[in-house]
Amino acid sequence: MQEAVVETHKLSRDYGRRQALLNVDLRLEKGEILALVGPNGSGKTTLLKILGGLLQPSAGRARVFGLDPFSRRRQVMRRTRFAFAPPPLYDQLSAREHLRLLGGLGLNGRPPTRQDVESALSMVGLLGRADDRVGSYSFGMRQRLALAQALVPPPQLLVLDEPTDGLDPLAVLELRGVLRRLRQERGLTILLSSHLLIEVEQLVDRMLVLEEGRVLYSGPPAGLRDGRQRLHLRVDQPHRAVEVLREQQMRPEASPDGTLLLPAGALSLSQAAALLEASGVRLLEFHEAKPTLEELLLERIRQARRDQGLPARGEVR
Amino acid sequence: MAVRLELLKMGRSRRPWVAASTLALFLALMLFGFYTYAQKETGGQAEFRYTFENASYFNGLTFSLYAFYFGFVLILPIFAATEAGAQIASETHSRTIHLMLARPLSRRRLFLTKSAVSLGYLFLLVGGFLALSLLLGLVAVGWGDLNIYPGVLQMTSQHQSLPQSQALARFLLVWPAATLGLLTTLSLALLLSTWVGNPVNAVGSSVAVYLVLYVVSEIHFFEDLRPLLFTSHLAYWRALFQEHIPWNQVVSEALSLGGFAFLFLGLALWRFRNREEVG
Repeated sequence: MQEAVVETHKLSRDYGRRQALLNVDLRLEKGEILALVGPNGSGKTTLLKILGGLLQPSAGRARVFGLDPFSRRRQVMRRTRFAFAPPPLYDQLSAREHLRLLGGLGLNGRPPTRQDVESALSMVGLLGRADDRVGSYSFGMRQRLALAQALVPPPQLLVLDEPTDGLDPLAVLELRGVLRRLRQERGLTILLSSHLLIEVEQLVDRMLVLEEGRVLYSGPPAGLRDGRQRLHLRVDQPHRAVEVLREQQMRPEASPDGTLLLPAGALSLSQAAALLEASGVRLLEFHEAKPTLEELLLERIRQARRDQGLPARGEVR
Repeated sequence: MAVRLELLKMGRSRRPWVAASTLALFLALMLFGFYTYAQKETGGQAEFRYTFENASYFNGLTFSLYAFYFGFVLILPIFAATEAGAQIASETHSRTIHLMLARPLSRRRLFLTKSAVSLGYLFLLVGGFLALSLLLGLVAVGWGDLNIYPGVLQMTSQHQSLPQSQALARFLLVWPAATLGLLTTLSLALLLSTWVGNPVNAVGSSVAVYLVLYVVSEIHFFEDLRPLLFTSHLAYWRALFQEHIPWNQVVSEALSLGGFAFLFLGLALWRFRNREEVG
């Protein structure tokens, strides 16, 4: 079995009484793009900090390229680049100086090549402002510089904390293109975090959903939909329709507006119409609903919070 | 590359300019103080006379010695602490330390680079302050032999006189010696700044510890504690202005200060290597 680029096993971390991560298992293979998704405070940054060797786990194990990132941080960072959020940068230096000087750290005095610096700046669209002091940059520009500095010299693993924060929709689109290109052209493995699923679902191969430090879901984005598609049936006599469907060994759920919900594929349109009309029920509407990933994710988070006895966001108990 | 980065950051910061301006202002105020005092005491003659028998002993070298001594005790420790606080606590506070730790650079090397750059800065600051005080003394008062009398700055028990050239050579010796003294304050501030995440708190607590220890080391009641306090040894460089330098004493005190600095730096390095970046 090929060695994973990133691997955690029952990884836990607490800050005193607060449990930031609990038993997180993660495996990231070479060339994959994986997103850590979850609301603010779900443990994403803590996980990235452990992988960056800035924090130690309270329990469990984390490995990057097979190495403990805290005790072997230097070796890990030879092949890994991080961009933290919000981007910590030196206001008194220019973008070019950031790339040239940070890029040469730990490389025995060998500065990065001019081509690497120019290419990274060009990739994030900062070439025109490369010699301006970073103190004059907007948040979005700082975010792009954080990404650029993480590309010099070219890493094997790129870790991005909330890379889309502060970017306008066009910049988010461009970022997705840049990351795809990096994977295709350089075979880069990418781990990124986001609290907005919609911004990463089209980019990533897999995602790890965290809530209150626990893994809610791990798998491809589409996997969130598994078993979650529903048939929506609107009828003129909902109570009668429920009885009819139950007689057929089906278990319809009734939504507050009277719509009946069945698992996708339980019935075809013609079967439903024939069955209901035979019992004097008129079928008014029939369609299969595909909830968005965002809705499914929120549903899972709410369910997890209910299971833990915690109030949902915005819910007063 | 790490040294270049540190130097560039320092060069672009306001710290060196604030320090240089403050020290220049301090020297101007010292000169003004001497001038007005002399005027008051001598009925209008711009000549410093005190209770000593030699009426013309005050010159540019005396001024430089006084100015440097008070600057060394009162101002330079603050700039030493500020620099140390900026190197570690400030980078922790702004999280730019993450940028450096996300590179294949060991924590030990990062810490030693920052310490070395701070020490270099301190060396230049002390040298610059000495040079400026001597220059100001030369321009405003004029040089001459350096006469020192008992009681003043607790430097000698009898009147001593150093010819001008010898006195200037002693000032040159004071440069590294005083830097070594201030290195203890710098190291203490580095140690505190590895614990405190806020630069203001790091600098404030370093200066507070320095002042408290300095006062304690000057109180006779705590005489037995003196060898244990680095502040008791700080002004050891004054012995370099004696006619016959007591080298045994100078070397012994320098070694004590070196030991304190080594201890503080060692503890700071241990802490920096093992700490987590929680913020």
